Amino acid sequence: MSISVRQITKRFGGFTALDGVDIEIPHGSLVALLGPSGSGKTTLLRIIAGLESADEGSVRFDGEDISNRTARERRVGFVFQHYALFRHMSVFENVAFGLRVRPRSTRPSPERIRARVHELLDLIQLGNQAQRYPSQLSGGQRQRVALARALAVEPSVLLLDEPFGALDAKVRLELRRWLRSLHDEVGVTSVFVTHDQDEALEVADWVAVMNQGRIEQIGTPDEVYNAPASSFVYNFLGNVNLFHGRVDDGTAYINDVETGHVAFVRPHALEIARKPPSGTQYFRAVVRHVNAAGPVAKVEALTDWGAPVHVELSQERYRELAIRKGEEVFVTPKDIAVFAKEQRAG
Amino acid sequence: MVNAIASAPPIGESAFVRRALIATAVLFLTAFLLTPLAVIFAVAFGKGVQAYLASFRDPDTLSAIRLTLVAAAIAVPANLVFGIAAAWAIGKFEFVGKGVLVAFIDLPFAVSPVVAGLTYVLVFGAQGLLGPTLAAHGIRIIFAIPGIVLATIFVTVPFIARELLPLMAAQGNDEEEAALTLGANGWQTFLRVTVPNVKWALLYGVILCNARAMGEFGAVSVVSGHIRGLTDTMPLQIEVLYNDYQFVPAFAVATLLALLALATLLIKSVVEWRVGTVKGNAG
Repeated sequence: MSISVRQITKRFGGFTALDGVDIEIPHGSLVALLGPSGSGKTTLLRIIAGLESADEGSVRFDGEDISNRTARERRVGFVFQHYALFRHMSVFENVAFGLRVRPRSTRPSPERIRARVHELLDLIQLGNQAQRYPSQLSGGQRQRVALARALAVEPSVLLLDEPFGALDAKVRLELRRWLRSLHDEVGVTSVFVTHDQDEALEVADWVAVMNQGRIEQIGTPDEVYNAPASSFVYNFLGNVNLFHGRVDDGTAYINDVETGHVAFVRPHALEIARKPPSGTQYFRAVVRHVNAAGPVAKVEALTDWGAPVHVELSQERYRELAIRKGEEVFVTPKDIAVFAKEQRAG
Repeated sequence: MVNAIASAPPIGESAFVRRALIATAVLFLTAFLLTPLAVIFAVAFGKGVQAYLASFRDPDTLSAIRLTLVAAAIAVPANLVFGIAAAWAIGKFEFVGKGVLVAFIDLPFAVSPVVAGLTYVLVFGAQGLLGPTLAAHGIRIIFAIPGIVLATIFVTVPFIARELLPLMAAQGNDEEEAALTLGANGWQTFLRVTVPNVKWALLYGVILCNARAMGEFGAVSVVSGHIRGLTDTMPLQIEVLYNDYQFVPAFAVATLLALLALATLLIKSVVEWRVGTVKGNAG
């Protein structure tokens, strides 16, 4: 089922959580709503689910306006950040809940319910934990049960609110890959909220970057990462070095008279040399700290004008240079993105 | 356990201070709680089991027991409905005047029961605000059973709501919202999710409420009028018998209330243990 959100606005008292948001979510896709806390992403998800009502705008499922339908009537599967499993019910009863509360006329027989629940428990690889209680499961297992419970009612769309937010890093990584393969298997239109850019970029077909109640950019992970539409998106997705400066006739002058421009350079788009490179622009910096543990070596240096600059080098290049703390190096930006400074605060 | 106490903990008092504190607490409890409790049973059975049982053949006493049961049977369900509704509203929703409502629920704790009883007399009594209107329609509230029931409800209002409130507020709305998105309607959500989640606190609240409803003296005393065999509840009957120097019957009826108190404590301990283990598991 496709989801279409049109001009949704939501205020909480004097605070505008969503400010005229539009988004089209194609059928069968997996979309990430990515943004910092307070950007409105969870509110948007809850409005799509019908758990919150919008002040203005409409939500359509397959073109049909469902803004006035209750959460119950929308038939969405919702997965909560803190699982929201029914604590007094076993895993089996949790997953069966959505089928048990159906009106008698559409309720499956007990045998059918049993079969369906076990099918789902096998899908989430918890087939042997059916009689356990949520409190006896790990965080990752609980979230998988929550997912199975949401899928049991064959929802038209699946909505996940920071589904991995409460899990530790390793489980999170494992579970998001599992979610991706589950989505490929089940194929239900899914929207998930996250503040973790790695998660969004790795899992989603489409990423909608949100900031201050607006959507800054919607695109494939490749698009939002490599062609950010605004300085916010550039800044939010991955690490950046930020230089203030001016733009004159197509040339950016950093650390010059400030005329309202900012230049962004990703740490891996900076080249370090021990001698001033010829035929290209560069600036001097003094190495302050080196961290070579990990796939890349991270160098923190201080520029002449006192700004810290972060550079990532391949381990090979790092060994070749053999730079140490306190040494002077010459830094060349290979790829700069320049944006006019945003008028809005933040 | 013994070792834990014997070896001095890193933070704490010396063994002497700890033993002194424990001894003080035990002495205090013995002097002010256990001894009176023992005295009740000693006097009640002082003239033998026959005399004890004979106390319950007095029609006035039987009527008092019956009235107490009736008052509790109305007050407890009334407060059950109100308590759940109030705790749900306060614990799970934001609305204007929430603080005022919480304060009102606590009012019966703050107001002397005698004052509460007097207010009812002032409102419903013969000289009261609504007295003439009620009298014209032949309705009698003060010095009759309805007054006793009303006074009992008033003094027991906070018990169930107060037990449920913190728990419901702590549990939040997530599970209810989950039930809703899974297609459950309001009643299904309430009966299958909300109530099971608070069942132990609810039971505890009901027990406390019941104990207080049966034991209430002050407010009931003011509105009852002390008509023997008609408007005397158990606590009032105990006073009447005692003032008549009928010590065995007085203490015999008192044993019933004492047993109720002991049963309440026992159930309370079981419930607290249950709630404790559930919380422990939830970790």
